[in-house]
Amino acid sequence: MSQAPSSGLLEIFDPKAPPKPIGIDLGTTNSLVAYVKNERPTTVKDCDQAALVPSVVHYGDAGEVVVGKNAQLRAAERPRETIVSVKRFMGRGGDDPETRRLGPYAFVVPEEGAPNVVRFAVGEKVVTPVEVSAEILRSLRRLAEDELRSVGGAVITVPAYFDDAQRQATKDAGRLAGLEVLRLLNEPTAAALAYGLEKKQNGKFAVYDLGGGTFDVTILVLDDGVFQVRATGGDSALGGDDMDRALAEEIFRLTGREASSASPSEVRVVLDLARRVKHGLTDADVVDFESPFGGPGAEAGAPLSIARARFDELVEPLLARTGAACRRALKDAGMKPEELDGVILVGGATRVPAVRSWVAKTFGKEPLGDIDPEEVVALGAAIQANLLAGQGSADDVLLLDVIPLSLGIEVGGGVVDRILPRNTTTPAAARAAYTTQEDNQTGFEIHVVQGERELAADCRSLARFTLKGIPPMVAGMARLEVTFRVDADGLLSVHAREERTGVEQTVSVKPSYGLDDDTVEQMLLDAIDHGEEDLAARKLAEVRVEASRVVASTKKSLAADPDLLEPGEQARIESAIADLEGAISGADARRVELKIEDLDAATKGFAGRRMNRAIAQAIEGQALETVERSVEHAKGIEAAHAESGPLPPAPPSG
Amino acid sequence: MDPFAMLGAPRRFDLDLSALEKTHRELSRALHPDKFAQAGASERRAALEKAASVNEAWRVLRDPIRRAEALFQAEGLAVGETNEPKASPAFLMEVMEEREALADARAARDLAKVKALGAGVSARAKAVESRLTAGFAGGSPSRDELAALLPLLGELRFYRRFLDEVEAIEEEAEERALAGARGVSP
Repeated sequence: MSQAPSSGLLEIFDPKAPPKPIGIDLGTTNSLVAYVKNERPTTVKDCDQAALVPSVVHYGDAGEVVVGKNAQLRAAERPRETIVSVKRFMGRGGDDPETRRLGPYAFVVPEEGAPNVVRFAVGEKVVTPVEVSAEILRSLRRLAEDELRSVGGAVITVPAYFDDAQRQATKDAGRLAGLEVLRLLNEPTAAALAYGLEKKQNGKFAVYDLGGGTFDVTILVLDDGVFQVRATGGDSALGGDDMDRALAEEIFRLTGREASSASPSEVRVVLDLARRVKHGLTDADVVDFESPFGGPGAEAGAPLSIARARFDELVEPLLARTGAACRRALKDAGMKPEELDGVILVGGATRVPAVRSWVAKTFGKEPLGDIDPEEVVALGAAIQANLLAGQGSADDVLLLDVIPLSLGIEVGGGVVDRILPRNTTTPAAARAAYTTQEDNQTGFEIHVVQGERELAADCRSLARFTLKGIPPMVAGMARLEVTFRVDADGLLSVHAREERTGVEQTVSVKPSYGLDDDTVEQMLLDAIDHGEEDLAARKLAEVRVEASRVVASTKKSLAADPDLLEPGEQARIESAIADLEGAISGADARRVELKIEDLDAATKGFAGRRMNRAIAQAIEGQALETVERSVEHAKGIEAAHAESGPLPPAPPSG
Repeated sequence: MDPFAMLGAPRRFDLDLSALEKTHRELSRALHPDKFAQAGASERRAALEKAASVNEAWRVLRDPIRRAEALFQAEGLAVGETNEPKASPAFLMEVMEEREALADARAARDLAKVKALGAGVSARAKAVESRLTAGFAGGSPSRDELAALLPLLGELRFYRRFLDEVEAIEEEAEERALAGARGVSP
């Protein structure tokens, strides 16, 4: 007992303590921040000892921005200026159906040529979901800073079923909030990490994640510290909010009022009342309340009630929608429900009794619930942040995640050619080759889409761009190679090149829904104009940290594999290190960046050789278990390196 | 990229997939970007690229059709429907009959018949896989042997599509049964 407080004090007052990495669950309804303290993940609490920060942002008349509980208090009075459940609007276009659902907001139609994103009118201002989310993240960062003083990088969680635009928007929000985003992590994988490390148990698990606004189901296998996601599915517009809406519509019915005739504040009041009724029905069989206003069915203040059985009926269609996704994910994973070793519940909406019993029935076993379903994601994110920052002790832990929805390109006839199918393990890369449809075609129009449908028009449009400058050729002669790369955050980049002429454009992809880099950069500058920090000082501090990390890591690599160095290479690398160290002690951020680039160039060949050695060692390690086969393998490798295989053929270009 | 070389696997059709899965996992442990979060840009890039290649190799090798395609490609043959010989009229005829039988069984909601057709096709797919196994068992096949094996790819693709359809019909029936149990008309 006497030890704990003193180590706590040491942590707080040690001026040399490294910045602490944090994990953030940026939820639809509530958000949390957590970090690893004495090898255990723990949530950061506010002055009222509450970990959950309502994901509500209020824009005041005097330009003040309020986040969390205090914003929630203003929601009923100022519904238009108070954005609730902003996550539902992330990465969506200004004309998305989501903007037409029951809700109190005033939307602004984007101007011609402006990025096609949702825009809320809040008083005099117009804000995008990325900016609103950044306010939530900034408030979480400050909360963490109060406790930790110095915050390092952050892992931010996203629903597994988020598409590329939604992920990009989340990462932009992190940047805008002044966070170094170490990784976007899928929420179910984060939850599994929190459970897995807790239980140290191998097996097959399903994670059923019903949050405020999103539903995910993920099937994963945990084996010797490797969390391999086998399949994921879901609905990025289905969640506890929909239960609130169903209850709100029931309340309107009970009062005899039309929801469509209600004012924005009445809608807000009813939605809040619905949420309280939902919470009440977790423990009670009936919840009584007073009619929020008068109508043909009830006077204002008249006693009304909703029973659990009625609520169960209202929730049933929503649960049925989750069922199809669960069966699909199990099938994609090639598993039967009875093969699962456990079902993990995530998300506040899984507290609803009807959800629990439905999950138990569908998977044939009682779900695990020993970690708070509202905290488990943030706890997992904190563990991952610690691992990425090199501060973790569990070195053999690895998360292998997947792409939730297939990625492809529109080809002739509006049909999608799938390049990376859903449930492909990330990071991933794949190429496809195409040809011209018409004689003398000098440009390729490339339309990148995400989704499972056959036609591009039915999938989500991610980006469009044109590869120009191809000399006129007969149809079918040009050979366009398109490369898709998905990184460990699940973010896509696309590269196109015409093979015969070598025309290659590192095309700047203009996202169909979302903000381009310049816009985000401008927002960042605007945010800093508000006097939060000195941009130059912050920039210098950031590049110095990055530079020191690169120097340390390079020295480590040199010491680890000196035999891989070519003659003169060590001297070149060491001189680049010395230059960089010189720049670090100066005060010119740009110079530090240049010297990082120089060191990067000097180490390129060495880095490649180190990776090849890592591959050879991993294969060798495996081969020890199967000695006989390994002899055959080694022969194959020599022959195979001589020539790389041909590209896949051009698909018929209709 | 040669997926066999990438995962250190022998160039044959019948691979020990559980051993390969382990190799993939060990390679991921060594190369995953998470392990290089603190490294310099050149190492991070090299690791990302290799990790993606390793994942791609595993994705190719665990899928029988793509594995077979990779074997032909490694022997210098182009694959894909435009590069392969056209299927024989006899095979096409057979295929049409099978498809019709499946469509009829679906229309009649005869799930037992659907399953039986699926079992028949999957047995034939297995037989084709055995021929591929034998064909690639003794190192590089000769040109003639390769030419004789190449049409098997088209057959495998057909069987895959057929079995996907069988699954879709089974799923449809399952959803219908569930909707019925909830008292909702489909």
